[in-house]
Amino acid sequence: MSKILDIQNLNVYYNTFDGKFSAVSDVSFSLEKSESLGIIGESGCGKSTTAFSVMRYLAPNAEVEGVINFNGDNLLEKSEAEITKIRGNRIAMVFQNPSTSLNPSLTIGAQLDEVSIIHQHLDKKAARKASIEALDLMNIGDAKGTVKRYPHQISGGIKQRICIAMAILCKPDIMILDEPTTALDVTTEAIILDSIKDLKEKLDMSLIYISHDMGVINKVSDQIAVMYNGEIVEKGPKEKIFNFPTHPYTRALINCMPRGGVVKENAKLNTIRGFVKRRGAAQKGCPYQDRCDMKNDTCLEKYGIRNIDEDHITACDRAYATDVENDIVKKLKPHAKVKKVKDVEEVNPETILEIKDLYKIYGNKRKVYAVNGVEVAVDSGTVLGIVGESGCGKSTTGNMVAGLHNPTSGNIIFNGIEISGGWKNRSPEVLKDLQLIFQNPGRSLNPSHTVEQIIGRPMQRLLGIDSKSERRETIIKILRKVDLGKEYLLKKPRQLSGGEQQRIAIARALSISPKLIVCDEPTSALDVSVQASVLNLLNTLQKDTDITYLFISHDLNVINYLSDNIMVMYAGRICEYGQRDEIMNNTSHPYTQALLSAVPEVDPTKQKKTIHLEGDLPDPSVLSKGCPFASRCHKKLGKICEEEFPPKVSISDTHYYYCHIHD
Amino acid sequence: MDYFIYKLKKSPLAIIGIVVLVLWIIVAILGPSLTSFTHTAIDSEHQMVGVGQAGHLLGTDAMGRDILSRIIYGSRSILTVALMTSFFSTIIGVILGFSAGYFGGKFDYGFLRVMDILMAIPPLVLAMVVLGILGDSSILSLTLIVSIAYIPATARVSRGVMLSERNKEYVDAAKIRGENNFYIMFVEILPNTTGPIIVEGTARFAYSIMMVASLGFLGVGLQPPTPDWGMMVIENKAIISQAPWAVLFPALAIASLVIAISIFSDFVSKVLIHE
Repeated sequence: MSKILDIQNLNVYYNTFDGKFSAVSDVSFSLEKSESLGIIGESGCGKSTTAFSVMRYLAPNAEVEGVINFNGDNLLEKSEAEITKIRGNRIAMVFQNPSTSLNPSLTIGAQLDEVSIIHQHLDKKAARKASIEALDLMNIGDAKGTVKRYPHQISGGIKQRICIAMAILCKPDIMILDEPTTALDVTTEAIILDSIKDLKEKLDMSLIYISHDMGVINKVSDQIAVMYNGEIVEKGPKEKIFNFPTHPYTRALINCMPRGGVVKENAKLNTIRGFVKRRGAAQKGCPYQDRCDMKNDTCLEKYGIRNIDEDHITACDRAYATDVENDIVKKLKPHAKVKKVKDVEEVNPETILEIKDLYKIYGNKRKVYAVNGVEVAVDSGTVLGIVGESGCGKSTTGNMVAGLHNPTSGNIIFNGIEISGGWKNRSPEVLKDLQLIFQNPGRSLNPSHTVEQIIGRPMQRLLGIDSKSERRETIIKILRKVDLGKEYLLKKPRQLSGGEQQRIAIARALSISPKLIVCDEPTSALDVSVQASVLNLLNTLQKDTDITYLFISHDLNVINYLSDNIMVMYAGRICEYGQRDEIMNNTSHPYTQALLSAVPEVDPTKQKKTIHLEGDLPDPSVLSKGCPFASRCHKKLGKICEEEFPPKVSISDTHYYYCHIHD
Repeated sequence: MDYFIYKLKKSPLAIIGIVVLVLWIIVAILGPSLTSFTHTAIDSEHQMVGVGQAGHLLGTDAMGRDILSRIIYGSRSILTVALMTSFFSTIIGVILGFSAGYFGGKFDYGFLRVMDILMAIPPLVLAMVVLGILGDSSILSLTLIVSIAYIPATARVSRGVMLSERNKEYVDAAKIRGENNFYIMFVEILPNTTGPIIVEGTARFAYSIMMVASLGFLGVGLQPPTPDWGMMVIENKAIISQAPWAVLFPALAIASLVIAISIFSDFVSKVLIHE
C-alpha cells in the first residue's frame, strides 16, 4: 500500500500574549490509501490543530515546523495558490458545527455547485448533476428538492450530511472529519457514522476522524492515534488499542467512560485526576506525568517511544515493561467496587416531587408545543433520569421544575407545595430546597465574581448567614466535599478548567443543602475523564446526603449509570417510564430501542445492529393526534399510529410505555 | 494591565494618541503656571503679531491677547465639560438602558420610542435651542445639556449589552435563588459589561469635545471671558488673512485632542472587547 499522507516531526506553536506555547509537538504519523485513522484525545490535546495544519488553515499567530508529505509533496512548502488547489479538492474537511459551516444566505445547491465549478471547472449544469449525485451518495432522500433549500430549512443531521457531500464532491484522496457528530443526537450520529463507513468503501478515500468519543472512533477507524497535550502517546490498529492499551492515558480514557452494565450501585467510575494543562514550550518529559498513577522518576526526563510490535507504538516505557497480561486483567475490571448500600430498611419513601399533566406551549401565533402532558412522581432520595434527543422537552421540563419557566398548564408539587408559579412566586424555603445545575458551567457562573462570592451568595441570601467568616468556613467545607481546596476561594471562573467550574457549580447548589437538584446535562460540556469524576461526585453526594436528583441528559450511558428511574421523552411526551433495570433489560418502546441501539459501543469485539431513525422530529408547532413517533418509527403498524394516540401499556407497577404494539 | 502594555507595544498609533491625550491633561492641570501671560491680558502694543514674536509663542489675536495662554486656559474648561459629560451620560445611559433591556416589554417599548424622538433631533440643534432659551452657558449648564444630548446613544448601547447578557445562565441562577432585580442588574450583570460601556464612554468623551467646540463656534458655548477653543476660531475668523495662526492653532488644538481621544478609544475597545 502506498502512503498518501506522511507527517514527520510536526511542531506547531502559537505566539500569544502569554508567550509562545506549543500546541502540537513532534507528531509523526502516516496514512495509507483507503485507510482510516482516528485521532482521539480530550479537548486541548492538539487534535484539531494537527488536522488544521494538514489543511494549512492555522491562525496567523501559528508557527509550523516539520514535514507534511501529501503524495510525496511537502504541503508546508507550497504557495498559497498551490495549496488552494489541493484544499477542498484533494483534501477535504468537515467541521464540527454544520450550521455555521454552511452559508445561510445561499441555497444548498449553490454552495455545492461552487465546489465543482471552482475545482473541476465544470459548467453549471454538470456541477448541479454532480451535487445531486453526491447528495444521493449520502442517502439524502429528496436530493433534487434539497438543492433548492436554504440551510435554515434543513435539520442539523441532514446539514452535516450535506457538508460531507460537499467534501466528497471532488472525490478527494483524504477527508478530514473534525468531530462531525459531536453536536448531533445519537440517532443522527449513528446514521452519519454508517454513511461515512459506506462512503469510504465506495470512493476509496482515506479518512482522518477526530473525536473525543472512544465509541465513535471505534465505529469508523482502522488505525487509532491517541493524543495527549500535543503529542501522540499511543498509536496502532484499533483492535490492539482497545484490547491491549499500553499507555496509562489510553487505559484511563477507555476505563473512565460509563458503559452498559456499569451502574452506580456496583461501581465507581475510573477517573483521571487533574485536567489537561496548557503546555509551555519548555516542559520536558512525559506530557501525561502530572496525571499519571504510575508516575516515577523516568517520566520527568524523557519517555521512550517503544514499539510493542511492528505497528503498535506507545510513548511510555513502563507500560511496556510491566506485565502486559496483568494490565489486561486490570482493564477488564477497571471499576472500584462500591460497598453495598443498606437495602434492608426499605421504608416507603415519600414522594418529593410530583408533576401532573404538565404542558408548556411557547409563542402565541405560531405555537411550539414543547412539553405535552408529562406526568411523573419522584421519590425522595432517588434519581430520575430524563433522556431524549434535543428538542424532546426534557430541558423545558427541568426548567419548569426549577422555576425558570412557568408551565402553560398542569401542576408541579414539591413537598406538598404547589410551585408551578415560577421563581417569582416561590417562598425562600422552596428556593433553598430546589436547586439547578446548568449544562455549561462557563455560562452559569458569573465570570466576574470570585468562587467565594459565587458559593457564598446563596448562603447569605437564602440561609441568612451574614457573617463573612462564618460563610467562609462553610465554603471551605463544601469545597472539600467537591474535592477542591481553599486556594480556590479567590479565583474567578475563567482561571478554572471546565471540570473545576462544574464542581464550583455543584458546590453552589449544595451550599444551602437543598432537597432536590435539577441537573440539566451537567456533564455534556465536559471531557470524558472529567465527566467521570463529576458523575462520581454527584453519586457520592447523593449517597451521603440523600438528596434527590432530576438528572437530564441525552447520553444513555450516563443516565444508566446514575439513575434509579428513567423517563424517556420524545416530542414533549413520555414514551417510556420505568426503573432502570426494567428499561434496560426490557426495552419496550420502539424509540427507546432505537436510542439504545444508536449508542456507539466501546468494545470492538461487540457489534450491534443500529436501528436507523430516518426523517426529522415532528413539527413542534402541530400537536399530533396520533403517536408523535409515528413518522420515524421502524415498527410502525400503519394508519392507527398516525391517527390514534397510543394507549398506556403497563408492564409492571413501575414500568409503562405508550405504544400500539403490545401483547 | 500586562495585556494592555502587550497590545500597546503592537500599535504605535495608540501610543501617539495616548501621549497627546496625556500631554493635554497635564497642560490643563498645570494651566496658568505654564504661561507668561494670562488669558485676558491685552498686549496692546503687539496686536496680531506672528508666531514667536515679542514673547508670544503662538502669536496674538486682534486684541493682542496671547493665543497660547488662551488655548491653555481653554483646555481646562473643555476637558472639564467633556469629562463630566461623558461620565454623566454614561451613568444615566447605563441606568436607563439596563432597565429597559432587563425589564423589556412595554417599558422597553416606551424607552425606545422616547430615545427615537431624542435621537431624531440632532444633538447640536438640541443643545443650541436649550442653551439659547437658558441664555446662560456656564460649565454646569453646558455639561448638563451635552449629557442629555448624548444619553440616548449610551442608553442604546447599554440596552444592547444587557440584552445579550440577560439570557446567560448565571442570571437564571441568580433569579432562582430569588435575587431582586437591582442586585441582578448591577451586581451580577454590570461587572461583565464594563468593556463595551467604557469604550462607549471614551467615544462619548471625543464627541463631547467636538460638541463643546461646535457650540463655542456657534456662539452659544461658554461665554467670555472664559476662553473657548471653538469661540476663538469664530472670533478670529475675521482676521484669518492677516493672522492665520489665530485660527489655525485653536483649530489644531481641537483636532489633536479629538483625534487623540478617538485613537485611544479605538485602542481601549480592542483591549477590552477582544480580550
